[in-house]
Amino acid sequence: MLTRLHVIASRIRAVFSGRALDEDFDREIRSHLAMLTDDYIRRGMSADEARRAAILRFGGPVAIKEQHRDDRGLPLVDATLQDVRYALRTLRKNAGFTAVVVLTLGVGIAAVTSMFTVVRAVLLRPLPYGQPERLIEISETNPLKGWTHTVAAPANIADWRARNTVFTDIAAYVGVDDRGASQLERFLAVNGEPQPVHGLATTGNLFDVLGVRPLLGRTFTWDETFEGQDRVLVLAYGTWQSVFGGDPQIVGRTVSLSGRGVTVIGVMPRDFFFPNRTVQFWSPIGVAPDAFVKMRRPHWMATVARLRPNVTLAQARDQMRTIAAELERTYPDTNTQMGVRLEALHDIMAAEARPTVLMLFGAVSVLFVIVCANVAGLQIGRGASRLREIAVRRALGAGRGRLVRQLLTEAFVLSIAGAALGVALAAIAPAALLSAAPTALPLFASPRVDLAVLLFAAALAIVAPVVFGLAPALSSSQADRLTDRRDAPTRRTTAARNLLVACEVALSVVLVTGSMLLIRSLIHLQQVDPGFRPDHVVSFKITLARVRYPKSADQVRVFADLEQQLRALPGVDTVGAASTLALRGYTWTGDATVEGRDPNDYERELRHKSVTPDYFRAMGIPLIAGRMLTEHDGAGSNVALVNETLVRKYLRGADPIGRRIRFGRPTDKDDPWTTIVGVVGDAKQDGMDKATQPEVYVPYAENSQNPATFVMRSAVDTESLISSARQTVRAVDRDLLLTDVTTLNDLVRDATGDERFRTTLLSLFAGVALFLAALGIYGVLAYFVCQRSRELGIRLALGARPTSVFSLVVREGMQPVAAGVIVGLIAAPGLTGTIRSLLFGVTPLDPTTYATAITTLAAAALIACALPAARAMRVDPLVALRDE
Amino acid sequence: MPDDKSEILQGTLDLMVLQTLDAMGPLHGYGIARRIEQISEDVLQLNQGTIYAALLRLQQRRWISSSWGTSDNNRKAKFYSLTKAGRRQLATEAENWHRVSSVIGRLLRLSER
Repeated sequence: MLTRLHVIASRIRAVFSGRALDEDFDREIRSHLAMLTDDYIRRGMSADEARRAAILRFGGPVAIKEQHRDDRGLPLVDATLQDVRYALRTLRKNAGFTAVVVLTLGVGIAAVTSMFTVVRAVLLRPLPYGQPERLIEISETNPLKGWTHTVAAPANIADWRARNTVFTDIAAYVGVDDRGASQLERFLAVNGEPQPVHGLATTGNLFDVLGVRPLLGRTFTWDETFEGQDRVLVLAYGTWQSVFGGDPQIVGRTVSLSGRGVTVIGVMPRDFFFPNRTVQFWSPIGVAPDAFVKMRRPHWMATVARLRPNVTLAQARDQMRTIAAELERTYPDTNTQMGVRLEALHDIMAAEARPTVLMLFGAVSVLFVIVCANVAGLQIGRGASRLREIAVRRALGAGRGRLVRQLLTEAFVLSIAGAALGVALAAIAPAALLSAAPTALPLFASPRVDLAVLLFAAALAIVAPVVFGLAPALSSSQADRLTDRRDAPTRRTTAARNLLVACEVALSVVLVTGSMLLIRSLIHLQQVDPGFRPDHVVSFKITLARVRYPKSADQVRVFADLEQQLRALPGVDTVGAASTLALRGYTWTGDATVEGRDPNDYERELRHKSVTPDYFRAMGIPLIAGRMLTEHDGAGSNVALVNETLVRKYLRGADPIGRRIRFGRPTDKDDPWTTIVGVVGDAKQDGMDKATQPEVYVPYAENSQNPATFVMRSAVDTESLISSARQTVRAVDRDLLLTDVTTLNDLVRDATGDERFRTTLLSLFAGVALFLAALGIYGVLAYFVCQRSRELGIRLALGARPTSVFSLVVREGMQPVAAGVIVGLIAAPGLTGTIRSLLFGVTPLDPTTYATAITTLAAAALIACALPAARAMRVDPLVALRDE
Repeated sequence: MPDDKSEILQGTLDLMVLQTLDAMGPLHGYGIARRIEQISEDVLQLNQGTIYAALLRLQQRRWISSSWGTSDNNRKAKFYSLTKAGRRQLATEAENWHRVSSVIGRLLRLSER
């Protein structure tokens, strides 16, 4: 046993000191031969005879040395190292070829690896909670209201908690928008200077449901959910560090949160987030205990629940549906057709990004195949020009297996270099992507190169050379006779390269078509009229601290005051304010009764916004009929403006002016009637690709909302306008801050950010694919022209017109292109069908797009063919013949 | 047949090398080869180079060690000597050999009858 270890150790040591051992053995053999020669001389031979006899007696020193080398070390490792050294030497000699291959592979691996970091961040990396796969989000659905995924009513949540046996517990929270971005803005006063922080309001059991312990202190208790006991605060690690400088005594410290004294009870671990890193603190919801009994109509709480051990999602769905049906029977008034939807938390958080991420990863994988095909083409081309070298080596006794291994080693060396370059690029790419398109990925996802990503890149580096290296190695190792070097393998390799080109073209057709579909979608989307004129308008949000402005009358007064002061700024054209800006959704929605309709017939999900009179003028939203609001439309005036969609859908086109709407159901007789005094144009609400919904605008004084978003139309340059607005606001109240500062142009641009992100990336991939395919075509054809220069020369000498030689070459080059295009056209519809959900205003089979894609490809292919064809035209017959 | 003479078992050559070093003390490759040829009275005609495969094997097992020195004729040569482990190994193998050869001898005598 020990002996065997000694042998292995000795062999391993030998691998590392091969050269020294070789020299040592050389000396030893020389000394042996010298002594043997001496002996023979002593026996009377001549020096020459003696030397020859000694070698004979010793027996082939070269073979002995070879044997010795094999016995001494690890032959496989030695041979591999030798192959690697040989590969490095040949590759260094062909620096141009090496650079092209490494660069192509590097870019290919970088592209796939970058997208994999994104896939991993969005879909694969587990959320930082205890057993995150057991966490479920429960939302409510209602076909009557068009709800498919809506936040829940508190009383429903309370009943779910009481009746279910499938969850260990259900937590509820408020304060985030559809994307999970925190909308709960508070000001933390540290050393007197208020800092805006975003948070989440939650029930006390949130952290228990998530299965996470705090880094410092404790988390909430259930009782702290309710008002009176809710003056507690849990900080995110980042907030603790940046706002409190990592104060070790933070737990127990009382801080001012928008003017309200609260006690910090805990700090969460560094890698924790919920639901993403826009949330910088967690505080209790602070509702009255009976909110969970009474509030069955307003839907405003998101939920997260933990499955009990051994309960499946399907079982939970069954039971929750039963409970929802019970509630529907008990509370027909609020719960008619109210269903529940249960999804794994991670799935629902990633749901919106999933199609884009998968599409891009699919596209980049296709691109990678093209990259491999391209490198394979280059390898075959080089193999053809190396036939002589390979034939010589075979003649000298190298086995075919040995040659294939050596050629594969070369491929591995190339791919490892490519992978190194690729990982380096992939390490910086996601950050660049995110800074270019901050909203493209879900907020919780933070792409970074981790172990899984490195393993993925390593797998690529191993798989790629097998793909691009094996076929070329097999084909070129076949060269067995020196005479074989001209015709047969040339034809064979040309066929192989044509096949590769056809593949590249087919795959490029798919990518180019896909990207053109997205480009056309984006163009359509950018032509959509937002319904307002975004030029020269800036907007910002102002949140009033409830402690300082407890009554809505106070809030109305301050906002009016601010509006007036801002309007007085030099160069300012118009200033208005709204509870929610266009393209930022709605303030609230509810049932609505149109006067004069059947008593049981009412509308659902009417969108409400509160606006100041000048909001529409500042936004550039046109008045279609009736009049604008004025300063005289104050509290109790019960007038409103509506958008065109409301007139069309609720009033069926009848003259809207003077019609009355009650914000409630026909049975809610206590609510007053509101009179429509004017109609304004539709402005986009949820996104440029979403249809406008019926919307009503009531005077701010009638229904004050906090925060308010101000819009200022002005020819003054944005920077100075914002800075003077900031001064004005702080002159009114020094604790007020401007947040969400943006120009409306940016607002519109950001509304199509996701679309631009995926379109840009896919177009980039398609462009690279197109370029590589063209390069492949060019490579094959340039080689063809070079090989056939004698034939072409003879044709020209015999009087063929150069143009006919040109078209001969182009025809040769376009053959695989045509085959590829046909295959691509057959494959593309199936694949573009999978991105239907990402398209806007264009169908996956749009004929114009297909025609454009094919034209583009054909044009690129023709250019690639034209260069070698032009060279073929200029072949000098004399030179071509002399070369042979 | 001349082939038969040179076909000796690997283990046998190893054993002969060990025995030679035990008897003669430190010796270079040439010396070992000469000695084995002399002792076998040229029954064993080996290519002298093959001795180095055995020397490598024994060295890898740490049964012999080597160092450069000077031969009687004033030539630089690599000298091999037995290690403690080598001496132990020789004893074991010699005993094995005796046992096996006596068995084989008896067998052969039996079948001659």
